Amino acid sequence: MESKQDKAAKVSRRTLLKAGLGGTLLAAAGSKFIPFSQAMVPSAEQPASEYVLIIDLNKCSGCGACAEACNQRNNLPEGKSYIRRLKKGEEEDCWCLTVQCQHCQDAPCAKVCPAGATYRHPSGVVLVNDKVCVGCKYCAVACPYGARVYDEHTGVVNKCWLCLDWVLGGGEPACVQACVKGARIFGRRDDPEIAELLASGRVQTLHPEFGTEPGIVHYIFPGS
Amino acid sequence: MSEHYWGWLVAIYLFLGGMGAGAFLMAAMVELTGMRYRGKYCPTALVGAGVSGPLVLIGTVLLIFDLGAGIQEPWRILWMFTNFQSVMTWGIWILSLFLPIAFAYGVLEVMHVHPEVLAWTRKRLKFLPETLPYRRIKRVVCSIGSVLAVATAVYTGVLLSVVTAIPLWNTPLLPALFLVSAVSTGMGLTFDLAATLAVPEIHRRYNHMPLIHMIFIGLEIGLLGLLLVLALNQGGEAAESAKLILLGKGSVTFWVLVVAFGMVYPFMVHVYAFARKSHGYLSGILSGVGIVIAGLFVRYLLVAAAIPVTL
Repeated sequence: MESKQDKAAKVSRRTLLKAGLGGTLLAAAGSKFIPFSQAMVPSAEQPASEYVLIIDLNKCSGCGACAEACNQRNNLPEGKSYIRRLKKGEEEDCWCLTVQCQHCQDAPCAKVCPAGATYRHPSGVVLVNDKVCVGCKYCAVACPYGARVYDEHTGVVNKCWLCLDWVLGGGEPACVQACVKGARIFGRRDDPEIAELLASGRVQTLHPEFGTEPGIVHYIFPGS
Repeated sequence: MSEHYWGWLVAIYLFLGGMGAGAFLMAAMVELTGMRYRGKYCPTALVGAGVSGPLVLIGTVLLIFDLGAGIQEPWRILWMFTNFQSVMTWGIWILSLFLPIAFAYGVLEVMHVHPEVLAWTRKRLKFLPETLPYRRIKRVVCSIGSVLAVATAVYTGVLLSVVTAIPLWNTPLLPALFLVSAVSTGMGLTFDLAATLAVPEIHRRYNHMPLIHMIFIGLEIGLLGLLLVLALNQGGEAAESAKLILLGKGSVTFWVLVVAFGMVYPFMVHVYAFARKSHGYLSGILSGVGIVIAGLFVRYLLVAAAIPVTL
């Protein structure tokens, strides 16, 4: 016959085993989660992005050098690009709107991503962890700026990452370096030139009514 | 108009998830109200309980096949349980809870109808008792399962309705429509199709069913109509999407398959059945087929007609 103590010991051993297994799983999940903790913070508490990219559409000729450089930098297959060029306005005075990830403070892509693969880096850049993305394409459906690009080969939905490795090393994103017209102005939010432009009132975000609070990409629209 | 990321696979999944949930609800209803025990044999309970798990499972497998990296490295799918901000994560939890319950209910119902199944199982698993208190177990399974079935049907709508980038979807009418359509397709499958095929005179036993069915088809027509009219009224991309369905590429499918064959015709059949207190054999089957087809194509049209906001 089993004594009560034996039973208790058995139960506790089993409980311990369960707790151990649960704990390991949790720890595994947690370790993956650490970079995502930023994405979990409500937007109101999120600090403004460290960097700003201002695209002056008066200077942009729509040549596509930015997209070309971006495609090369990111090794994108033919026909895929993180930068889209949209033709706007009437025939005579038409202009080109270049659209890429706006790095929203309240990014819908990060909210809908079931795997938590999309997250906001402390610098304000919205990134995709391509080791975690499952390729469900919910982010691509949810992004109002159409900034998500699905790669059939890797099965991952990627996007502009502001060439963060270069930027953190003090450099500029590939698209900014490639722009021969000087339409892409990039810098830290506290750079005098950037701060002055932001304060001038000429700089706007694209479709603020979408409510996603574009964080990094700003525009100077034609005529302003 | 940008690329379409979601297509047929997602539409079929939304449909199967809804119909599986609806079939479960129908079986649970006849079980919990005791309607199942009015005759010797109840095809609604057997089919509803039997197919709901497999239907939802097929849908889930389709959804997994629609994944990119998740199909190449399946362990990544575990991450999909982790972001509780995402409606898809809620859905994955709901499905993970609903599927085992739906399958358990199916097995219980089959064992209840065919005791030889339990006897056969007992030969292999000796610890099983000779008989089980089926009604008591099923009452618990049906109650918990019904909540999860409603959650499954509603979540398939919420999944789309939270997408602000697609104005056609971005309305609480969509989850409501999907829930009503789920119940309707479940009813079409388990009453109109299964019951009519198995026991044609069964409708005499459940003489108020045509009325319930009429109410659900009516609600479905009302909600779908309201959704499209409001979209037209809203203008912009929502109106363009609605026009695609009503007048454009999707119009033939919409008016012929969804409205005429899948809603108006079954509605008339049920009006007739309610007055006569019985279903005709052929009209019962046809209205069942119509309702199920409408459930599929409503979802396909809504997914395919999604036009994102213009930049």
